[in-house]
Amino acid sequence: MSQQSTKKGEMDLPVRLRYKETKREKTGVYFKKKVGWLFIIISVIAITIFNFYPMVQAFLLSFQTGMGGNLEFTGLSNWQRLFGDPTFIAALTNTSIYLLIQVPLMIVLALFFSVLLNDPKLKFRGFFRIAIFLPCVTSLVAYSVIFKYLFGIDGIINIFLLNFGFISESINFLADPVWAKVVIILAITWRWTGYNMIFYLAALQNVDKSIYEAARIDGANSIQQFFQITVPMLKPIILFTSITSTIGTLQIFDEIVNITNGGPGNATISISQYIYNLSFEYTPDFGYASTVSYVIVILVVILSIIQFRVAGEKK
Amino acid sequence: MKKFYLMLLLVVGMVVLAACSSGDEETSEGSGSEGSSSVDTITAWAWDPAFNIAALENAKEAYNGDGEYEVEVIENAQDDIIQKLNTGLSSGTTNGMPNIVLIEDYRAQSFLQAYPDAFHPLTDVINSDDFAEYKIATTSFEGEQYGLPFDSGVAALYVRTDYLEEAGYTVEDVTNITWDEYIEIGKDVKEATGKNMLTLDPNDLAQVRMMIQTNGSWYVDEDGSTPNLAGNESLEKAFETYKKMMDADIAKIVSDWSQFVGAFNSGDVASVPTGNWITPSVKQAADQSGNWAVVPMPRLDMEGAVNSSNLGGSSWYVLNVDGKEQAADFMLNTFGSNPDLYQTLVEDIGALGTYSPAAEGDAYAVEDEFFGGQQLLTDLSTWTDEIPAVNYGLHTYAIEDILVTGMQDYLNGAELTTVLEGVQGQAEAQLK
Repeated sequence: MSQQSTKKGEMDLPVRLRYKETKREKTGVYFKKKVGWLFIIISVIAITIFNFYPMVQAFLLSFQTGMGGNLEFTGLSNWQRLFGDPTFIAALTNTSIYLLIQVPLMIVLALFFSVLLNDPKLKFRGFFRIAIFLPCVTSLVAYSVIFKYLFGIDGIINIFLLNFGFISESINFLADPVWAKVVIILAITWRWTGYNMIFYLAALQNVDKSIYEAARIDGANSIQQFFQITVPMLKPIILFTSITSTIGTLQIFDEIVNITNGGPGNATISISQYIYNLSFEYTPDFGYASTVSYVIVILVVILSIIQFRVAGEKK
Repeated sequence: MKKFYLMLLLVVGMVVLAACSSGDEETSEGSGSEGSSSVDTITAWAWDPAFNIAALENAKEAYNGDGEYEVEVIENAQDDIIQKLNTGLSSGTTNGMPNIVLIEDYRAQSFLQAYPDAFHPLTDVINSDDFAEYKIATTSFEGEQYGLPFDSGVAALYVRTDYLEEAGYTVEDVTNITWDEYIEIGKDVKEATGKNMLTLDPNDLAQVRMMIQTNGSWYVDEDGSTPNLAGNESLEKAFETYKKMMDADIAKIVSDWSQFVGAFNSGDVASVPTGNWITPSVKQAADQSGNWAVVPMPRLDMEGAVNSSNLGGSSWYVLNVDGKEQAADFMLNTFGSNPDLYQTLVEDIGALGTYSPAAEGDAYAVEDEFFGGQQLLTDLSTWTDEIPAVNYGLHTYAIEDILVTGMQDYLNGAELTTVLEGVQGQAEAQLK
C-alpha cells in the first residue's frame, strides 16, 4: 500500500528527478524484499518439505489401497469403506463423546480455577497455581499408567469406595463400557485443565482493574462481574483454548492406548488409535489409514470454523 | 506483487517436491538392483533381553561356521520393531534396516505378503523337516521358506496340585481332558478352596485362539485371508465354552499382564492355561515350589480335537539387504543346524526351540523340582510335535478386535449364530 502512494507522489516531480528516484527506490524495495525472503526461506523450505509435501502425499495415499508397499489407486473406495466400517464409526462416536463432554468441562473448570487463583487476597496462591499446573509437565504415558492402576479392580479408588461403604463390591471400571469412558475423560481433564488455566491467568493479568472497580461502584456482584466483564474480556483466549483443546481431543491417543487400549471391545477406541491399528497392529493398510486421518483434518476444519463463527469477532 | 510471490512460493514448493520424489527413486534403485555385497557387521533385532536377545547372544558364541563378520544384537520393543519394519519397508529404503529380525508368527504372513521382496528366502539354507511341522505353514509363503522357526509357543495347563488335592482330584484327573471336564473340576475346586480356576481377560481372546487350534481351526480359511467365523463349529464351541466358564463363575477377570501374573503368583487361581513361555513367571513365586504340575492343554469336546495347542511363538527372518548371505550363514550355523546351541538355550534361559533333533539332548531330560520333579521340557517338546498346523494368515489381530466386541455381545445375552454372522459380515467388509 505504502509503495503505491509514493508512486502517485512521484508523478509531481520533474522527469529527470523522477527517473532517478524511482530506480533507486525500486532497487531498494527489491533488495529489502529479497533480504526478507532470505530470512524466511529456510523455514519456508522446511515447512514445505516436512509439512505440505507429506500432507499432499497423505491425501494422494488416501485414494490408494493395498498391503504394505503394494499400493494401487482405487479411487474413492476407501471413502466408501469408511461409512460402512463399524470400528471407524465406533471410534468417531467415542471421540465425539470425549469432545462434547470433556472440552466444555475442562474449559469451564480452567476458567473457574483461574478466576479463583487470580484473587490477590488468596493465600498460598503460588502453591495452588503450581499444584493445578503440575499435571501438565508429567509424561502422558506415565500419568495414564497411574490412572489405570488407580481405577484397577484392586486399585485405590475401589478400596476407598469400599472402605467408606459407598459400594458393596469393587467396580471393574476399565471393563465397563461407560465407566471406562468416564475414566478417560477424568484423566484428560486432570492432565489438561492446568494447561488451559495458565492461558486464562495470563489473560486476566491484562484486564484493567479499574473496570472491575467501576463495576463494583455501579453495584455489580461478583457473578455479574464474571459474566459481564471477565468472560467477554477473555473471549479471544477462550476461543483459542477451545480450538486447541478440540484439536488435542480429536487426536487423543496416548491415554486410550495406555489406560484401556480401546477396550472393553471398542468402547473407548479413538480415531487416532484406529489409525495406529490400521497401520501397525493389523496387516498394514496405509491407504485406508490416511483416509481415516483426513477425517480428522476435515473435522478440525469444520469445528474450528464453527467455533470462530460462534465466538469470534464479527467483522 | 502478492500474486508474484505466491507464484514464487509455488515454484519453490514444486522444485522441493520434485527434488524429494527423484531422491526416492534413486534410493530404491540403489538398494534394489545390486545383489551381493558383503558387509563386516550384520545386525539382528529382537525384543526380550531375558529370552530372545539372550538366545542371540548364546548363538554368537555357539556359531561354528567360518564366516568373518561381527554380529550386533540390538534390543527394540516388539511394537517398535513392527513399526520400524513397516515404515522402513513401505518407504522402499533399506537404510537402517537390520539383517536379521524376529517376527511373531501371528504377524509373519502379513509381513511376507505386504513386502514380498523384502525378505531373503531360506529354502536352500535350512532343512524345514528338522523343525516342528506347525511352524512351517506360518513361516513360508508361495512355496519358499522365509522364516527360521525359533521358539515353541506350545500351550499347556499349569495346575496347582495342592488345590486340586483339596478338591479331591489328582494330576491324572486333569491330564488329557476336555474343556467341559475342566469346567466341572473348576466348580469343585472353587467350592472346596474358594479359589478361581483361571483368569480371563475379556479384551484378549488368547483363550479362544488356543481352543480352536486344538481342533485345527483358525479365524481364517486355509487361504489365510477369508474370514472363517460364521458357521465355524470350533469357534462356536469355543465361544460356548468361554461363556460357560463365565457363567460357572470360576474365572477371575483381569485386564492386563501384571494382573494376570499377579493372580497366579499370589495363589488366587488354581490353574493357568497358556503358552509355555509363562514358566519363568510361574516360578517367580518360589514359595509355591512343588505345588505345580504341567499337563497337556484341554481340548474342545469335538471329534478330531487333540490335547495340544499353541500360543504365540516367533521365528527369525533374514532381510533382503546387503549382508544377507552372511546373515543366512549365521542363521544356518546357529539356530539352523546346531543342536548344542539348543541345549545351552534350555539350560541358560529355559527357551524351548522347535528344532526337533535337539529334543534328544540331556538338557531336555532335566527334572524340574518346582514342578514336582516333572521332566517338563521333554513333555513340552512331545506336545509341540502334536500341535495341529494351521495357517494363521493375515488378519489375526484385526479379526480378534472384531471378535472381542462380538464376545461382549454374546456374554450379554445375544444369540451365538447371530453374533458370529455379525462379526463375519464386519470382518468381510473390513478385510477387503
